Amino acid sequence: MKHPLLPLSETMHYILLALREPLHGYAVMQKIEEMSHGSVILAAGTLYGAIENLSKHGWIEPVGKSGRRKIYGITAEGLEVLKVEQKRLLHILSLYEGSEPDEEV
Amino acid sequence: MKRFRAFFNIEKEEHWLNGQLQEGYRCTGISGLGIYTFEKTDKNFVMRLDYQEHLSKEKLGEYKGMYEDFGWDYIDGSTFSGIRYWQKESADQDVIFSDRQSQGSYYKRLMNYSLWLGMLSLFYALMLYKDSTLYHEGLWSMEGSLFWKAFLFETPFVLLKLLPALMAVLLGISYYQAYRKYSMLKV
Repeated sequence: MKHPLLPLSETMHYILLALREPLHGYAVMQKIEEMSHGSVILAAGTLYGAIENLSKHGWIEPVGKSGRRKIYGITAEGLEVLKVEQKRLLHILSLYEGSEPDEEV
Repeated sequence: MKRFRAFFNIEKEEHWLNGQLQEGYRCTGISGLGIYTFEKTDKNFVMRLDYQEHLSKEKLGEYKGMYEDFGWDYIDGSTFSGIRYWQKESADQDVIFSDRQSQGSYYKRLMNYSLWLGMLSLFYALMLYKDSTLYHEGLWSMEGSLFWKAFLFETPFVLLKLLPALMAVLLGISYYQAYRKYSMLKV
């Protein structure tokens, strides 16, 4: 069976991409706002739940502390997930471009 | 200002609270017994209710820290119920869930909460009614005004006895309402 978090939701996708650089929770939200040109602004409960969920599956992990805030970073497993997702999305993009994708193969 | 209210549905409670805030109040405290304290303000506040139970001390710290970073203030509610009350000044983003997945898991948590509390009430009700009838057996053989006097005297106690059953029904309804919203988000 497919992993419950796959394919990645927009929220999860952005968080994994943002955490290729270690950040604390609130900074993740700010970075995602910037990365998405203001179109994805995560709310507190959504970010809290997503971080819990991604940690539970071992795709991100705490890598340190800044004051009382935990700093998270993506794990090797998380990077692997991003690779698989990238492949999936590239394929979908290729379908957008060729009108008859069968001919190209 | 103090208000007394009892809710069996978190979304109704949230709705009622925001109604109070819109009249120019902010909430300053909530006791487990259903006493809500408000204070006049000329700013606009909003409240959002989350449901999170069994948070360890460390987890609760992380949970609160995250919301506080986003500008939410934690209002102490009853510690055992698992309902978390958040309040902040109204701004661009007044929600605590910004995507379907997290909104869906919120309804899932509400379903678990209603189910668990509803089962508990039902169990309690069954225990209570197992070996006693609602009215005294002797009541039904009484006649005339004596019957009515005894009947009226006993009725408040009967209503009290029916409370757990009533709670089970109300919680059953809120379970169904949360389930409806949950399934609408999933499809």
